[in-house]
Amino acid sequence: MAKKVKNVTPPAGRKSPCREEKQILRARAQALARAPLPEAEGESLEVLEFLLAYERYGIEMTWIRETLPLKELTPVPCTPPFVLGLINVRGQIVSVMDIKRFFDLPEKGLTDLNKVIILQDGGMVFGVLADAVCGVRTIPRAELHPSLPTLTGIREEYLKGVTGERMVVLDGRKLLSDRRIVVHEETGD
Amino acid sequence: MDNDFHQRLLATFRVEAKEHLTALSTALIELENTPGAKHDELFELIFREAHSLKGAARAVNMTGIESLSHALEGVFAACRLQAGVPAPAVFDLLHRAIDEIDTQLLTMEPGDKSAKLRTKELVASLNEAVESAPASGAPPVPPVPEHGESPALEKFAGSGTVRIPTARLDSLLHQGQEMLTAKLALLQRAAELGAIGTALASWENEWKKVRPAVRRLRKVQQAPGAAFTDADAAQLGKLLTFSDWGHAAVKDLEYRVHALAKALAHDRYSLDGMVDTLLDDVKEVLMLPCATVLEVLPKMVRELARDRGKEAQLVIAGESVEIDKRILEEMKDPLIHLVRNCVDHGIERPVERQRLNKPERGTVSVAVSLRDANRVEILVADDGAGIDTVRVAQTVARQGMIAPDEAGRLDRERLLDLVFASGVSTAPLITDISGRGIGLAIVREKVERLGGTVTVTTEPERGTAFRMLLPLTLSTYRGMLVEVRGQTFIIPTASVERVARVPRAGIRTVENRETVEADGMPLSFVWLADVLQLSRREKGGDDAGTIPLFVIGSGVSRIAFGVDAILAEQEILVKGLGPQLSRVRNVAGATVLGNGRVATILHPGDLVKSAVRGAGVPSGVPHPEEHEDIPRKTVLIVEDSVTSRTLLKNILETAGYRTSTAMDGVDALTRLRTEQIDLVVSDVDMPRMNGFELTARIRGSREFAGLPLVLVTSLDSREDRERGVEVGANAYIVKSSFDQSNLLDVLKRLI
Repeated sequence: MAKKVKNVTPPAGRKSPCREEKQILRARAQALARAPLPEAEGESLEVLEFLLAYERYGIEMTWIRETLPLKELTPVPCTPPFVLGLINVRGQIVSVMDIKRFFDLPEKGLTDLNKVIILQDGGMVFGVLADAVCGVRTIPRAELHPSLPTLTGIREEYLKGVTGERMVVLDGRKLLSDRRIVVHEETGD
Repeated sequence: MDNDFHQRLLATFRVEAKEHLTALSTALIELENTPGAKHDELFELIFREAHSLKGAARAVNMTGIESLSHALEGVFAACRLQAGVPAPAVFDLLHRAIDEIDTQLLTMEPGDKSAKLRTKELVASLNEAVESAPASGAPPVPPVPEHGESPALEKFAGSGTVRIPTARLDSLLHQGQEMLTAKLALLQRAAELGAIGTALASWENEWKKVRPAVRRLRKVQQAPGAAFTDADAAQLGKLLTFSDWGHAAVKDLEYRVHALAKALAHDRYSLDGMVDTLLDDVKEVLMLPCATVLEVLPKMVRELARDRGKEAQLVIAGESVEIDKRILEEMKDPLIHLVRNCVDHGIERPVERQRLNKPERGTVSVAVSLRDANRVEILVADDGAGIDTVRVAQTVARQGMIAPDEAGRLDRERLLDLVFASGVSTAPLITDISGRGIGLAIVREKVERLGGTVTVTTEPERGTAFRMLLPLTLSTYRGMLVEVRGQTFIIPTASVERVARVPRAGIRTVENRETVEADGMPLSFVWLADVLQLSRREKGGDDAGTIPLFVIGSGVSRIAFGVDAILAEQEILVKGLGPQLSRVRNVAGATVLGNGRVATILHPGDLVKSAVRGAGVPSGVPHPEEHEDIPRKTVLIVEDSVTSRTLLKNILETAGYRTSTAMDGVDALTRLRTEQIDLVVSDVDMPRMNGFELTARIRGSREFAGLPLVLVTSLDSREDRERGVEVGANAYIVKSSFDQSNLLDVLKRLI
């Protein structure tokens, strides 16, 4: 920034405009330097919007590694119903779950579940299925409302908020760190 | 000093110091255990180790460790001069000093106040020990010539070896193993290319059939005054020329495909060779001497024996035998466990041993020896009390694991085998048979997972011996591919005792359990599908009325698992199920097959356990869909989404229909021509050919015009519904209001 300011400084000799310009430029520079700050503090969220069982959901981009079309799915026997199976992501095996079932939402209709959204944080990785991925959106945090009376049960625990347009924003960190999602069952139990 | 550089120095120091410490503690224990003879040598050794450690600690400014090793050095300088073994109390002091150094190494901090205090105390007591040693008079710490060279340099001097962090080796091995995937993929590509070649060859056959017709037409076309107009003759000429050109083009393609297949076969051959050599070499690099896991044992035995008021010595043989690092790592815990057990429950108290005319000091031995080129035996034995088989029988019977009268009839071998059982509930078993049960199940599981075996022999008052036979290297994992309910599963080949095929009628129910006969012996029989709790939709086995099965056995329980087909046996690269599926019952891992699909690898130990547990439930409950006499209807499911397809398939199969699946309209038309289909359920929105088009095609064709067809769609507008009816669908179900009874009702009305 300092360099830029120097570059646009007019040649010496024109006294007053020089000072004025300098002031203006400094003010601009300060404004520019400040502008990203409030955003970094989390005034808005960047979320990936997707459709699932005729509802719109969002998960913060921070937790999303990638999205893929679902081509093959290998079911794993002896797992809870929310675990749908395994996929091969460039040689890596990733488990895929149906958050609808994990949230205990009633099975409603028949949906495509054609897309996989892979969530990752530290050591945890898994995919969740979606009917369609709509894209990335920035939503101001102020637009995020706590809950709706209709959002009850297990889903409410993972809720970050609901937007005015009824997008259910899920708490990616909570999903990724929840032990209930981890399957650990020995035969001895 | 540059912080980064300092950190690297510290890391090097930690590795080096750890080695000195291990050498120190091993030598100390040896000194304590061997009378006379080698003492001078050991004094010298300990003195030198302590001295090197001191130098190394000074180089990285670890003052606590430096002063402790200085004090250690002092004690042995004195020993060297006086040729006298330190008093037993001093030995404890020495071990404590080593422990303290170990602790400081872990934290790598100069040490907090308490650590400093402990160090000071220890140094003071060590110095005191030197002073109060008999015939004292020698200076407590004799001057030692300091070498100027840094400890790190010493390591490199004169040796043809380099140090590589083992983690880097792991990554090398991992990458080498990934090459297997390339190998398997190439095999698949070769098969696909072969299929293209076959298709071209069948084209050639068809062409041969029409060639006379083409020749004849050519003659007719060229003959003057033919039955054609000139224009038609010219058109026909064009067509015939094209047909000739087509033949030449296909011939050319066939030739090129053939050449490609040959080149591919050659590439595959050389890749196979390269990958195999690479893997062998990497495996060799990963061979480490057993000493790396055995070195923790002497100290452990010493401490444990002291703690329990016993006397025990550990004799190690064969520590230089080299074993695959991964096997060593896996064996570390089982070894520690077995040795602990020996001290804890095997060796008697000195009083008891005296009464039995045994030396007061018990012996635990760990002997590693090569059995043949590929196998190594690890024997962990003690000369203690042995296992009381009568009590094992009592406990097992009380546990309800076997009937009391049966327990009495079991022979020794089978009873001892039960020591490894973890089945129903091991906890009381552990305490009752003097702890021999604890963790032994885990020992067996680990050993068997590595493809080895473990057996135990015992003699009252003479001792117990655990004999583990392990592979020397983790050979490339081989797995047997089986098919159940359309899914492919893999069973580790090493665990499969045998495979067989029995007639369906060969299954007999004995005492409410299904059994088959193999080699004249009755074997418990279960369906793999039942054990894995897969939906039971039809009788398993193959079309020929026989049941392919494989036998896996864990100790005394051998079980035959029935499947639909045994497909192949091949190398596989074992991968985890990912962090979310940390442990799944009956599943050990997953792998990627040559065609890119994922298949799950089953866990043989779990399968046996699950089968034994499930056997109590009468499996003979008749399934309504099993009435073979009613011919079942086949529904073709056309749907591009894999999840919806699976869901529909499950719903229909549970309701008793046979199913076939297609991914889109084009695929569906192919299925219709090759399979007997009674009804079609199709999605609308699909790539290549959508549901409306498919419906129109079916209605427009001669043979399928009357085939019942249901459209399932996400489109819910009146126009779509009308369009569906217009093209000739018999029913139109909207996805958003889909429920399974709705679909089944519709199907029942149609077929």
